Amino acid sequence: MKTILRNFLASESSRESLWSKSFRKFRRDRFGIAALIVVGVYAIIALGVWVGLWGQNWSDISDEGFQGISRDHWFGTNLIGQDIFARAIAGTKTAFEVGLVVALSATLIGGVLGAIAGYFNGTIIDEVIMWLYGCIDAIPFYLFVAAIAFAMQDMPYAMHVAMIATFWSSTCRIVRGEVIKIRNLEYIQAAHAIGVKPLTIIYRHVTPNTFHIMLVQATISFVGAIKSEVILTFLGLGVQDGVSWGTMLSESINEVLRGHFGNFLAASGFLFVLVIAFNMFADALQDATDPKKISS
Amino acid sequence: MKTLIARKVRPRPALITLGIALAALSLCSCKPPFSDRDDIHEVFRFSEAGAPITMDPAQASTAYENNMVTSIYDQLYDYKYLARPYALKPRLATGMPEISDDGLVYTFQIQQGVYYADDPCFPDGKGREVTVHDFIYSMKRQFDPAMLPRGEWLWRGKIKGLDAWKAAGSDYDQDVPGLQALDDYTLQITLNQPFPQLVYTLTMGYSSFVPRESIEYYGREAGLNPVGSGPFQLESFTTQRAVLSRNPNYREEYFDLAYEGYAPETQGWAGLEKLQGKRLPAMDRVEVYFMSESMTRWNSLNKGTEIHFGGIPTELTHMVASQLSPLKLRPDYADRFTGMSAPDFGFVYMAFNMADPRIGHHEDPEQDRRNLLLRKAIRAGFDWEQRNRTFYNGLGQFFPGIIPPSLDAYDPDLPHTLGTADLAQARAYLQEGGWTAENLPRLEYGATANVTNNQMFEQFRGWMERIGYPREKVVLRTFATFGDYNRAIRDQEVMLIPIGWGMDYPDSQNVLQLYYGPNQSPGSNLSNYDNPEFNRLFEKTKVMLPGPERTALYRQMNEILLRDVPTISGMVRTSPFIWHRNVIFYPSESPHGSLLKYAYISPKTAEEAQH
Repeated sequence: MKTILRNFLASESSRESLWSKSFRKFRRDRFGIAALIVVGVYAIIALGVWVGLWGQNWSDISDEGFQGISRDHWFGTNLIGQDIFARAIAGTKTAFEVGLVVALSATLIGGVLGAIAGYFNGTIIDEVIMWLYGCIDAIPFYLFVAAIAFAMQDMPYAMHVAMIATFWSSTCRIVRGEVIKIRNLEYIQAAHAIGVKPLTIIYRHVTPNTFHIMLVQATISFVGAIKSEVILTFLGLGVQDGVSWGTMLSESINEVLRGHFGNFLAASGFLFVLVIAFNMFADALQDATDPKKISS
Repeated sequence: MKTLIARKVRPRPALITLGIALAALSLCSCKPPFSDRDDIHEVFRFSEAGAPITMDPAQASTAYENNMVTSIYDQLYDYKYLARPYALKPRLATGMPEISDDGLVYTFQIQQGVYYADDPCFPDGKGREVTVHDFIYSMKRQFDPAMLPRGEWLWRGKIKGLDAWKAAGSDYDQDVPGLQALDDYTLQITLNQPFPQLVYTLTMGYSSFVPRESIEYYGREAGLNPVGSGPFQLESFTTQRAVLSRNPNYREEYFDLAYEGYAPETQGWAGLEKLQGKRLPAMDRVEVYFMSESMTRWNSLNKGTEIHFGGIPTELTHMVASQLSPLKLRPDYADRFTGMSAPDFGFVYMAFNMADPRIGHHEDPEQDRRNLLLRKAIRAGFDWEQRNRTFYNGLGQFFPGIIPPSLDAYDPDLPHTLGTADLAQARAYLQEGGWTAENLPRLEYGATANVTNNQMFEQFRGWMERIGYPREKVVLRTFATFGDYNRAIRDQEVMLIPIGWGMDYPDSQNVLQLYYGPNQSPGSNLSNYDNPEFNRLFEKTKVMLPGPERTALYRQMNEILLRDVPTISGMVRTSPFIWHRNVIFYPSESPHGSLLKYAYISPKTAEEAQH
């Protein structure tokens, strides 16, 4: 009886979907969960700023600059009397906005082009897409992003466009490789044999099997976009009108020597924690969605 | 065992190479930066916040460009290096001009035996002698639209026949009645009407002696290949650095302390006596570094020895100086540097682009009235005192209107309350004009992209928020370089124009012309203000000699500007400068052109060298 029950449970387990297994595995990863909570807190902060619950006073100035830490100003104020904590909070929204837009767009473009290139491997379509991302990858990343951001500096979304234009290529390359592997599997050959159209095969049968890769790539792009936004803004090529951790860091250049560390600590602290948390989250996600690791 | 030992002691070339490299690196790192430069006392290195775009005197309009132009080219007159208040002296002229009784004819003699620097534009590459024909050619260039001149406004309508020459197609072979060469060394300028500021304008880079050969030889590249008869010639130029070297053909000129207006009681501390009798330029070579960030300039001055003269970034003044005016350095800096606080001969202000109907002149009288109230509201929200505390160490001096305290027409009785924000008044103006958060126009604040300008913008936006302006309606428009910003201003593309004006000469006419209608962009009237009443008064005063009547009219024009608000003005900044102790220099802002020929680095004494 016990053997029968064990066999039954085993068969139930083998029927469990890959996503479900991934979810179970992710839940067991304590560091991954902790990182997710941290990222979640940042997301709530960003959402709160977006809907106007907090961080709205980031541009308010006061008569005296460089006020110390107090109940009103948790990180003090900057040269023109702006509350550093409010600016760091508002900077979270900027970071998330850039991260989300870039990660979603780059993953979508990279995923679609990668799937097409992989499915039509060896054809002119594949060659063109490979040539395109080869060209983009050949240009040093920050040079390329800075050039686009500079050329389009009057456009509010110049920085987003610049990053999307570069970030899609890595997703494209990885998805292409995975699709080349998938397209030779029996079920794809069978679909092909019964006359299913190539685009339908890509949409229905190939792309869903690359979602785990795209999910991980999206998290990597997200954190990469946030870092790039901060760096570009620091260099004067990113956020012009709003507030960003990059703006705060560039302000801190002049302030640190004067003995005021508020901007530097707040911006670098917020950025550091988010980047570490997101990297840990991405690692945990990669482990959880890797079919080889799940099956073991 | 033997094999094992042998393996252990076997020499590894890669490791040895690495070791040698590390040892070499560590040895190198022990030396102070730039200590291997042998030419430390022969090259004067300093930095500027902006780079010139052109060194063509017809086009060079920024302070950075003027500094290069007046180093390379000669003008008829100059200012005495040390005299305060500023006093004119002949440069290429042999003396002050002879002026006819009616004040219309000026006759100038120039020095003989002055040669241009050697350059391929001349036959056999040898610089030829300078004549007054070169001056006439240069003045014609200022009226030739093909040269994209920037200095035409100075002489427009003033020199007989020059405007007609332009209207007739700018033919260089055609004579201009008001510009006559009596011989190679005698120039006669005939005016349409008296122009008391004429000699002042002949100190400016725009009036440089330019050889026709160089313009014809280099064509569009003339701006990067300047050929002059001044103390220096351009050796190399990039957007990061310009190198000037002594012009070997430069005439014999020796420094005379007394002639230059030296006042030992106020200037004795600067060590200028060491310059007495030296042949100018005092240095063989000057390197100018262009760095937009003040902290970068500071690091260059403070951490190496490559830059000998510079300002103190506002953020660090408290660390460097215990007192700012007069400047008193803290002991650790006083050991290495000397310095002084000097007021600008100019001021900062924020102009409204009056050609922009959203905020400036408007055809509809009602909208024009509302725009005026909007400008008044913005001015009432603008807090010069706070800006002074935040960005100018509290050393700046606010003045209402456009005539600063250093000029004779300055009116001390004007209300200084305009220097502080009056939020209630600002809101009242907005209400009177029917302006609400919904119908207020978007304010576009122009600036070159750097941290300080960004913070100035944020401060301005904060003030505007206080008077009820929605945050999203006050936006920053940045430009990569000052040249780009300047170009956009000249094209009337910038709505709010925070900028500085370095005065060209000590006469209120030089600041009032900033609002004279015909001087609109691309001329010097950046705000494109055009008021017939103001224009009429300006035309009336421009032929008047200094006196109480002219001063009264100048003040009347200043009050018109306060009434019409084409600008929010202004503040005279006082900047603390420091330089290495072995550098002999006395800094000055406008109206001086380049002072580089006076810059001198005294050689180390034997004791200092040993140390």
